[in-house]
Amino acid sequence: MLLDFEKLGILRPFLIGLTALVCLFLILPIVFIAALSFGSSQWLIFPPPSWTFKWYQMLFADPRWLYSALTSLKIAAIVTVLSVVIGFLAALGLNRGSFFGREALRALFLTPMILPVVVLAVALYALFLQLGLAGTTVGFIIAHLLIALPFSIISIGNALEGFDKSIEDAAILCGASPWEARIRVTVPAVSHGIFAAAIFSFLASWDEVVLAIFMASPTLQTLPVKIWATLRQDLTPVIAAASTILIAFTILLMVLAALFRKGRKA
Amino acid sequence: MVVSATTDGGQRKIRRNGSFGYVVPALLLIAFFFIIPVLMLLMRSVLEPTPGLQNYRELLGSTTYLRVFMNTFTVAGLVTVVAVVIGFPVAWLLAIMPDKWSRLVMAIIILSMWTNLLARTYAWMVLLQRTGVVNKMLINLGIIDKPLALVNNLVGVTIGMTYIMLPFVILPLIGILKSIDPAVLRAAALCGANKRQCFTRVLLPLSLPGIASGALMVFVMSLGYYVTPALLGGTSNMMLAELVAQFVQSLVNWGMGGAAALVLLVVTLVLYAVQLKFLNPNRAR
Amino acid sequence: MTQPFLSIKGIRKTYGQVIAVKNVTLDVAQGEFMTFLGPSGSGKSTTLYILAGFQDPTDGDILLNGQSLLSTPSHKRNIGMVFQRYTLFPHLTVGENVAFPLRIRRVGQAEIAERVSKALKLVRLEGFEDRKPALMSGGQQQRVALARALVYNPPVLLMDEPLSALDKKLREEIQFEIRRIHQETGVTILYVTHDQEEALRLSDRIAVFSQGEIDQIGTGQELYANPATHFVAGFIGDSNFINAEVLSSADGKAKLALPGGTVIDGVPMHAGKTGGKSASLLLRPERLSLSSHQVANGLAVTINDITFLGNNIEVSTRTGNGESLSVRLPFGHEAIASISRGDQAWLSFEPKSTHAFA
Repeated sequence: MLLDFEKLGILRPFLIGLTALVCLFLILPIVFIAALSFGSSQWLIFPPPSWTFKWYQMLFADPRWLYSALTSLKIAAIVTVLSVVIGFLAALGLNRGSFFGREALRALFLTPMILPVVVLAVALYALFLQLGLAGTTVGFIIAHLLIALPFSIISIGNALEGFDKSIEDAAILCGASPWEARIRVTVPAVSHGIFAAAIFSFLASWDEVVLAIFMASPTLQTLPVKIWATLRQDLTPVIAAASTILIAFTILLMVLAALFRKGRKA
Repeated sequence: MVVSATTDGGQRKIRRNGSFGYVVPALLLIAFFFIIPVLMLLMRSVLEPTPGLQNYRELLGSTTYLRVFMNTFTVAGLVTVVAVVIGFPVAWLLAIMPDKWSRLVMAIIILSMWTNLLARTYAWMVLLQRTGVVNKMLINLGIIDKPLALVNNLVGVTIGMTYIMLPFVILPLIGILKSIDPAVLRAAALCGANKRQCFTRVLLPLSLPGIASGALMVFVMSLGYYVTPALLGGTSNMMLAELVAQFVQSLVNWGMGGAAALVLLVVTLVLYAVQLKFLNPNRAR
Repeated sequence: MTQPFLSIKGIRKTYGQVIAVKNVTLDVAQGEFMTFLGPSGSGKSTTLYILAGFQDPTDGDILLNGQSLLSTPSHKRNIGMVFQRYTLFPHLTVGENVAFPLRIRRVGQAEIAERVSKALKLVRLEGFEDRKPALMSGGQQQRVALARALVYNPPVLLMDEPLSALDKKLREEIQFEIRRIHQETGVTILYVTHDQEEALRLSDRIAVFSQGEIDQIGTGQELYANPATHFVAGFIGDSNFINAEVLSSADGKAKLALPGGTVIDGVPMHAGKTGGKSASLLLRPERLSLSSHQVANGLAVTINDITFLGNNIEVSTRTGNGESLSVRLPFGHEAIASISRGDQAWLSFEPKSTHAFA
């Protein structure tokens, strides 16, 4: 009864009401930020006295914002490629291997995801100071790769679980060499997992703040670092504009992912 | 001896031995840039400034740092309780409601989850400030006379963190609740249980492993959170992750930073192990 | 002696302590349909996988036209295979699936198109080129898999329980197709199954596998009429076994005492390694006759149950010392009218038609 939607009785309006409130709670801050980015009030008064594009103009007029966005994009792109490639190999090894300690290894690969990022950030920062990688693009990439990789291993690993190894064997008997079979058959067959891995890896790097704060230098900042640094000064509406662009970007990615899923079904 | 080895198992065994090589790149990355640096940091916590445990003695002995621990556990605990109490009914409804509507709610949950963490935290900084919408609304409704202090204290941190953690409670719980056969509850009702008894005696016990697992996960994640507490909490209400960062960044005290990091690490790993061992819903089912 | 087309020589495969294939030796003639029949874990699939090159034998060799295959990797063996599970490439259409082996072999576009359509015609799926595998039934998918395995004209086609995921009616339909395709193409087929009916229906010869060894190789009729071991007797056709005492045996014939004292002579005897005093006597249900009155050398039984099965009737009976025997009588057999459950009856049979296994 309690799990039959039609038979919930008085519980139903209660649950629906609560869910509606939670939805508002989850969506309103996002809507609110988007609205304020077009509001004229420097003090972010709501509702805004009038509407304006000046925060966006200020955002685009400052080359440091653009530069940090490009830095973010570059790092996220490289991290995505490396994460998918290394993650595919690792997932393949974990999926197909029967070597000793396989389960322990899987757990180890996923630890960077559950560990407090600040611990990893501080530890890497110490190491990079010694290696001279602090404040470099390479340092950034390594740091973000560590937290992106678990997403790739999980996404691609799940896809490989659902992929029948016999299909690869069939390709091999058809005359394809093992690697040819993997690239021409396995990779396309698990492409949804690879796509998910790419999106998650990209977002993991693109949105990452804590590691970035430690890896950044005055001349090398990602977008989140730039937002962070500005936020610590004041609550300028320019950040609302930057946030709105990020939110639009997120929605775009979600739509892309949804379209991709739909395309796979058809 | 002849044992019937199923051909399938046999095939897996022989053909997949060479696959260790595939994990080597990932393993090298993790070893060099995860295991080694973390171990090095922990070494420094017992070596700097002089070998010994004085960093830990100071960290666990002084009231300043004890307050940080108190803050951390209070906020993480509060966030967990609130997120579970709000999240469970939502997950419940989502598990049984028609697809058309649940898809919309899911889209909202996922959008909020995917939105940049700083953007979300910034939104709460603006909403909760003295002249912000929340205070204005409360005054207009006549609930309060003067604006409340909602940021730069633990209230702000708790609200902001709950916002972030809610999806992490709701999403796994939907799966758990969906895996419970509605027929079990119909049977309970036919056995004479009223709604309350159905809930407390059947639905809740069946979803308890999932709730516990999700709660523990949220608790662990909250313990180590850095960005949201730093922005919404202010300097006087520091949490553990901020302390670690502060030791390294502002005070350049690697010994104390390492010690604080170790405490955070140990608490996280212990709770994670507990979750894996006792509360993993995949294993329980 | 002419050299056999395909020769499996003393194949052995172990995983540590576990022996998957103990010792398999077998010659297959060109164009032959050879079935490996046995229960799961009997080593039949492992043998097939060794042929495919997915596993290496611990010992032994495989020769195709006198050349050892073992040092050739799977993808260069030029062997066709249809798997138990559906193995069409999910991202490719039916046509692209069948074209895949030809693309790998860098065959020209025009020839690919021609051979793909020919192969699809062979499995009666012409016009399905642009369909995605996910939109096809299991039976259609296995037919596409068959086309894909045959399109490059492999000398040998391996089939690993290709029909086990299909329902009975569809299975029979595709068995018929496989027979036709075998006749049309003349390809040598090695077929693995645990279904004796399927094996009998399809094969030229059957190799019965048991515990990592081949118990017997022969045509279906040979295996049925003249099983070499207790296992083969039990696996092919329906069978009853009762315990008997060996009174004497010579020249492959034995004199046996059945429980209840009946003595029969001239029973074909298959001595095992022990050659003991007791033996197991095979009585085929359809070779037993039943009568309601006592007959000479008959076996006294009690009627347990009578089941109508359409074109025949199964009577289950019990001997004096509690062994069950089932008897199959044609519909309308005169004995049926005069017996009912709980009655005493007598079974008789031709000693030549039975087999004893020590």
